[in-house]
Amino acid sequence: MTGARTGLRRALDALYLAGGIVAAGFLLAMLGVIVAQMAARWFAFSFPGSAAYAGYCMAAASFLALPYALNAGAHIRVGLFLTALGRHRRWGELWCLAIGAGLATYFAWYAVRGVRFSLQFNDISQDQDATPLWIPQSAMVVGTILLAICLWDNLIRLALTGRDNIAPEQLPETIATSEEPRHG
Amino acid sequence: MDELSLAALFVFVLFLLLGTGVWVALALIGVAVVGMELFTSRPAGDAMVTTIWAMSSSWTLTALPLFIWMGEILFRTRLSEDMFKGLAPWMGRLPGGLLHTNIVGCTVFAAVSGSSAATLTTVGKMSIPELRRRGYPERMSVGTLAGAATLGLMIPPSLTLIVYGVTINESITKLFMAGVLPGLTLAALFMGYVVAWHYLAPGQRPEAEPATSLGERLAASRFLLPVLALIALVIGSMYLGFATATEAAAFGVIGALALAAAQGSLTRKSFAESLMGAVRTSAMVAFILMGAAFLSLSMGFTGLPRALAGYIASLELSPFLLIVALTVFYVVIGCFLDGISSVVLTMAVVQPMVDVPAFRELGFDMIWFGIFVVVVVEMAQITPPIGFNLFVMQGLTGHGMGYVARAAFPMFLIMVAMVGVLVVLPDLATWLPETMRARPGP
Repeated sequence: MTGARTGLRRALDALYLAGGIVAAGFLLAMLGVIVAQMAARWFAFSFPGSAAYAGYCMAAASFLALPYALNAGAHIRVGLFLTALGRHRRWGELWCLAIGAGLATYFAWYAVRGVRFSLQFNDISQDQDATPLWIPQSAMVVGTILLAICLWDNLIRLALTGRDNIAPEQLPETIATSEEPRHG
Repeated sequence: MDELSLAALFVFVLFLLLGTGVWVALALIGVAVVGMELFTSRPAGDAMVTTIWAMSSSWTLTALPLFIWMGEILFRTRLSEDMFKGLAPWMGRLPGGLLHTNIVGCTVFAAVSGSSAATLTTVGKMSIPELRRRGYPERMSVGTLAGAATLGLMIPPSLTLIVYGVTINESITKLFMAGVLPGLTLAALFMGYVVAWHYLAPGQRPEAEPATSLGERLAASRFLLPVLALIALVIGSMYLGFATATEAAAFGVIGALALAAAQGSLTRKSFAESLMGAVRTSAMVAFILMGAAFLSLSMGFTGLPRALAGYIASLELSPFLLIVALTVFYVVIGCFLDGISSVVLTMAVVQPMVDVPAFRELGFDMIWFGIFVVVVVEMAQITPPIGFNLFVMQGLTGHGMGYVARAAFPMFLIMVAMVGVLVVLPDLATWLPETMRARPGP
């Protein structure tokens, strides 16, 4: 039983990290598109729809990284009330996760619906790229579903074990102090 | 239920979700859904997906992750060390001495990074120990650093200005240009404060630094010069109309990678860390912007912004009084929310109040207002109980929040004075954007 549970745990964590890594890939692709667009201008060749492609990469990079950023503690929240709860903080966290899981599920549900409509009515980008919109929009579907899974995962884990998977909010000094002191 | 109690319910849900600690982006989405359900028969979920998709795939937004990445790359180089060593010989003999390295260091790093927390950490991790060793009063070192780090929000590239520009659909390049002169003015005011301290409190001065020759100074700052060249390239390419904000950001990333490689600090590990750091921060900001886009659609249906703007107009306040009121409003909001959240949350309501002819006649257009908002949001960064810079300072120096806030209080007053300067001289913000050569977006 424990083995299966840690297996599931590892699979889920790998899934969120994979989302982050694919998002990083889209960020690199976006840089590539922008550089190619500048090159197109200087050397007078044409790259129609470059702005739209950069936008799709941006959307994919944002959506796919949502659960990864959540577990890394990157998403901002107002912590005053949770801190004030003291040893009852867990109840506050459960409330936040329950609201979050509900909303993320709602978002994912309508994202799926939106892309189904795009596919059904054969929505095409109004830009020069004329991409069928369901292709870039599927990143929104994957990202929001992953986010919903991640929030349910944290909610269930907190309810059962008393601990969630989310790192405390990241402050830059934690990066600074974890670095080796350099002398020179 | 009548309109008024519906509106009250809407505002209550907003405070409930934000106040209990629901992640800001999700809270905005939740409030927006409630608003849509209460005020219109349009299907909330479908409107949400259409709005959010349009926002998240927009060309303007692409500048965001690239500027974040550029800062993340330079954050992981030896810049922090080189900054102090390179600046110290130039500042050592000024009245006020090495305290100026805090301010000039923050100004330089602000020009490669959009975040005040990163600015604070990079400059402070070298300057605070060095200033301590030389016997500068702790209160001055801590105060000037906490204050000057807020320049990260104003001097381009600035995350807050990108968020503001995306929220009200204004040119990012113009906003960046508008931030340059007010940012430098604010830095000059901070330096003036250090000079004043030098003359007013002679008993606190530490021993003067030994004199250095011009050659020695240049040698010490040779590592700093490439960074200055990168800043000139990024800002200059936008000003001269050679590149859009996104393209300038791409230059910035490539330049920063080249700098890091030349310094020998570009490893596979530091590359991956900087990239993943950029992915996290940019996903966070983009998520908030998605929520904000949906909320502003929903707000439109509630009629609250129009009603509030109508009410404000009926008071017939002079624009100056309204500016004073908004300053207080933002400082109070900033006690609970970070800069980005306060901008996205308020602009749907505040824009109809200030985007009016009476304001524009005085030179207070939406570009000017962006700079104003950034200054007042900056002030909130160094006021308790939430001031983000105070948290970072606490971790960096080991002092309590109260101590840091008191040490930074003079800087708060200087920023209040800066709001005054902006009101008297609106051209300070609007002159550069008007003279730059605009490059039409692709």
